[in-house]
Amino acid sequence: MKRSWTGRPVPPNGLVAGSLLAAAFVAYGIWGFRATAVLGFAVRSSTPLALAAMCGILCERTGVINIGIEGQMLLGAFAGFFGAAAFGVVAGVAAAVVLGALVGAFLALCAVTWRVDQIIAGAVINIAAAGFTSFLYRPGRVIGSLPTWRIPLLGDLPLLGPVLFRAQPLTYLTFVVVIGLQVALFRTPWGRRTTAVGEHPGAADTVGIDVARYRYGNVVAGGALAGLAGALLSVEITGSFDRGMTAGRGFLALAIVIMGRWRPALAWAAALFFGVLSGLVNQLNFDRVFDVPPQFVAMLPYATTIVVLAIFSTRVRPPAAAGRPYP
Amino acid sequence: MHTDRLRPVLLPVAAVAVAVAIGAAIVLAAGASPVAAATAIWVAAFSGTDAIAATLEKATPLLFAGLAVIVGVRAGLFNIGAQGQLLVGAITSAYAGYRLAGLPPAVHLPLCLAIGILSGALPALLAGVLRATRGVHEVIVTIMLNTILVNLTDWLAGGPWMEQGQPVSRTPAIAGSARMARVAGLPVGFLLAVAMAFVVWFVLDRTTFGFRLATVGANRNAAHYAGISVAGATVAAMTLSGALAGLGGAVESLGIVGRFEPGFNAGLGFDGITIALLARVSPRAVIPAAVLIGALRASSTQLQARARLAPEIVDVVLAIALLLVAAPLILRWLLRLRPGSCRTEVQLTRGWGA
Amino acid sequence: MYTKKATFGTVALAGLLALSLGATACGSGGSASAKPVEAPIAMKGFSGDCASKDVFCVGLVTDVGKVDDKSFNQSAWQGAARAAVAAGGHAEYIETVDPKDYAKNIQSFLDRKADVVVTVGFAIGDATATAAKANPAVHFIGVDAFQATTIPNLTGLVFNEDKAGFMAGALAGLLTKTNVVAAVLGTDKVPPVVAFGKGWENGAKFTNPKVKVLTTYHPGGLDVAFNDPTWGAQTAKQALDNTADVIFGAGGKTGNGALLEVARQQGAYCVGVDSDQWETVPGARGCLVTSAEKDIEDGVATLIGQIRDGSVKGGNSFGEVGLAPFHDFEEKVPAAVKTKIEGIVRDIGSGKIPTGVN
Repeated sequence: MKRSWTGRPVPPNGLVAGSLLAAAFVAYGIWGFRATAVLGFAVRSSTPLALAAMCGILCERTGVINIGIEGQMLLGAFAGFFGAAAFGVVAGVAAAVVLGALVGAFLALCAVTWRVDQIIAGAVINIAAAGFTSFLYRPGRVIGSLPTWRIPLLGDLPLLGPVLFRAQPLTYLTFVVVIGLQVALFRTPWGRRTTAVGEHPGAADTVGIDVARYRYGNVVAGGALAGLAGALLSVEITGSFDRGMTAGRGFLALAIVIMGRWRPALAWAAALFFGVLSGLVNQLNFDRVFDVPPQFVAMLPYATTIVVLAIFSTRVRPPAAAGRPYP
Repeated sequence: MHTDRLRPVLLPVAAVAVAVAIGAAIVLAAGASPVAAATAIWVAAFSGTDAIAATLEKATPLLFAGLAVIVGVRAGLFNIGAQGQLLVGAITSAYAGYRLAGLPPAVHLPLCLAIGILSGALPALLAGVLRATRGVHEVIVTIMLNTILVNLTDWLAGGPWMEQGQPVSRTPAIAGSARMARVAGLPVGFLLAVAMAFVVWFVLDRTTFGFRLATVGANRNAAHYAGISVAGATVAAMTLSGALAGLGGAVESLGIVGRFEPGFNAGLGFDGITIALLARVSPRAVIPAAVLIGALRASSTQLQARARLAPEIVDVVLAIALLLVAAPLILRWLLRLRPGSCRTEVQLTRGWGA
Repeated sequence: MYTKKATFGTVALAGLLALSLGATACGSGGSASAKPVEAPIAMKGFSGDCASKDVFCVGLVTDVGKVDDKSFNQSAWQGAARAAVAAGGHAEYIETVDPKDYAKNIQSFLDRKADVVVTVGFAIGDATATAAKANPAVHFIGVDAFQATTIPNLTGLVFNEDKAGFMAGALAGLLTKTNVVAAVLGTDKVPPVVAFGKGWENGAKFTNPKVKVLTTYHPGGLDVAFNDPTWGAQTAKQALDNTADVIFGAGGKTGNGALLEVARQQGAYCVGVDSDQWETVPGARGCLVTSAEKDIEDGVATLIGQIRDGSVKGGNSFGEVGLAPFHDFEEKVPAAVKTKIEGIVRDIGSGKIPTGVN
């Protein structure tokens, strides 16, 4: 089995993906459009979570804990919507990415230069984001929507077509980002250096890696992704901004980072897992499969997660230097 | 020498002062009057017994939640689930409060508090045990539990424990024998919270148990080799943290709301994180921090009525204050203070604590 | 190296501030491509001496929420402001942040000698009743607050949401081509939402016995159930994938998200709730065939007028419910359907057709 440079075995992503795909088609064979509906919901609800989790992975891999993802997303959603209202949707998405990156720069400034406690810096971002967006919000703006792109041929596939290949631009961008990060983290010098900075900054420093520069770069890039996740909510999915519309997704992303063991592909799988469970909840309600209070159905994904982790968790190991300033 | 002793006090005070100044600028920019805003906060939060009581009532759950977060942090654990634990404590104590009506107050009230404490401790215990025995991260488990417990309490309050004969999701009113009154104009819950802050301070800073928690929090491996049970400390810290949050919920129900109603306790657990940070993870400093935030929160009515300000301004000022407390460097630069020791930064993160 | 980092940080911080100010600028002014929505009436505030007999002052306390919520708080405020101005008086609002402050917010208007206090939402009902009993000289209006016992100076403005839901559902039953309609709802813990949903279901089955009604509630606590447009949009898409072609979005921002999603899809209708959402959610105009309306704005304004002329009564006042105009769909809804719906609306209003919701 292949091993990463830290000596841990790399999970066979192809095999996992292949068996999940096979399971999806079996479900499609049995339940038809219901499987399409649930998996479609899963993919759509996973994209903002996955992007937010990518932010968490980038930051933590490089040694900076970011609990401010929720705030970065909210600011991204705000900038995205009002940018789109003023200058069009493309500008809106750009504004979200830029604001997210700037907040990332602020986090890096706190964590790296000022050596502020990282949990505090993140909490500041969350509180400030909620306060400012709510204080500055004015109703009454409308924006155009992003187009739906149907990929030729792939879009006509059964199941996979409607679930993956008839989506909006930022969804495709999310696919590219996740796969790109997976490759970049494990197959490029940048990825190895990033991991080194997060695991053992002292050693990284002695071999000539500029720890501060790596931390700044990755936390800013992560912020850009969190901003993009916000734009996904406001510009692509809803075409509106509402106060507190992130509704805790940035916190859920923290859990997804850990469930995904700080690996992009695995984190996306964890986001999809949440998506499938939530989609199933809706589908069970739609089909009145059983008559239980919605609150209990709603607990299902979260309780399942705890049980799954309790049973299958081998001790999950975070990057060793996460949360610690260097030098 | 005395400057070093003063610094920990000076810094947060200066931070709050600067934050208020920046807040005033924002108020001006928003087209309102900072003087009117200041008057509004004064009138709402401190002018007279009722205003002070209102402030302290707002501060009470924040104090408990802040203490809960602190106990976890000392052992290197981030209990993001204080919100959920507080909700369970609030609803079970309310249930005991109306269900066991007829008991003498001397029995009923302590019993309700104890039930709140126990039920708040329970989910935290689960998170602690999973962490200690299975290595499942407490941040994930407590985030999951928050959602589970919100749903559970919503269901209880709108289902089996709902007050009959009316449409609102809520429990019946708590019997008089379990209500916490005011003593000399001060809410009893607040006095309890202050007492608890001193107990937590004593336990964390003056006992072997507290030392063990701190050792585990500082370095798990070192603690292990020093013969401290890391698993035991983890479970104990989480349970204690949950118990404090649960007690906060119970005091909310028994002392302020008078029943359990969904939405009445929203956000308190998360405010607890803010308070713990503002207090720089010191149990005694939580008291002024909670009173400060309680005063700001209590003034939302008057801020609107007198200064015509959107109530979100409070969050904006809080965020700035928190940032300044967290980053003394900014404050020194702003106030042109002489660079002092580099060790004034608060450090609560000890990584994800592997 | 250190200085370089610090400089970069300062630049970043400055940029952040600049951008946030920029965002304010475009938030408060500028032009939008589509027609802007009506913003809530700005507050002028009490002026003059409210204690005087000649100065008429109306105070409004929101449920947890803001007067720009494009929903019931906004409608109630517009009604109160309109009626106060019509009577030559003044109106003011206070937005509740913490439900524990209900009583305090009401009291702040009593302290300032308001003549009328309007409270919005059933959760604030208890605090309103307590204040009404203690202040017999002030008249109170409780929007959505059903009065089980009559207090002479408190009028509950209530609505038969099940009727509005039934009318909309009946229309959906006639419009659907796939015989599948759906409702994306806020939470089952708020009775009006449940009444809308059940009415919708029974209405659809009334006009179309073959119809399948898909119903789902937001799986979150009360604090997010009405404020998650993302979930609303994605759930609406799931309903569309289940071949639903008429979708009812009822649940604040969550429901609005559902409307906005349906508007992006070809050939599906959506139905709004509470107010005419053609006005409040312009992004949904592409699918919005009607809204299941409860006329809070007129209800509040009418009651304030009655308080002014002394004809008001305590207890419950039932406000108007109905269907909003078809707007862009005026041409597309077949004449036969319109006739049938007009009949159903009439019979529901008179009680000739029961909604089957208790």
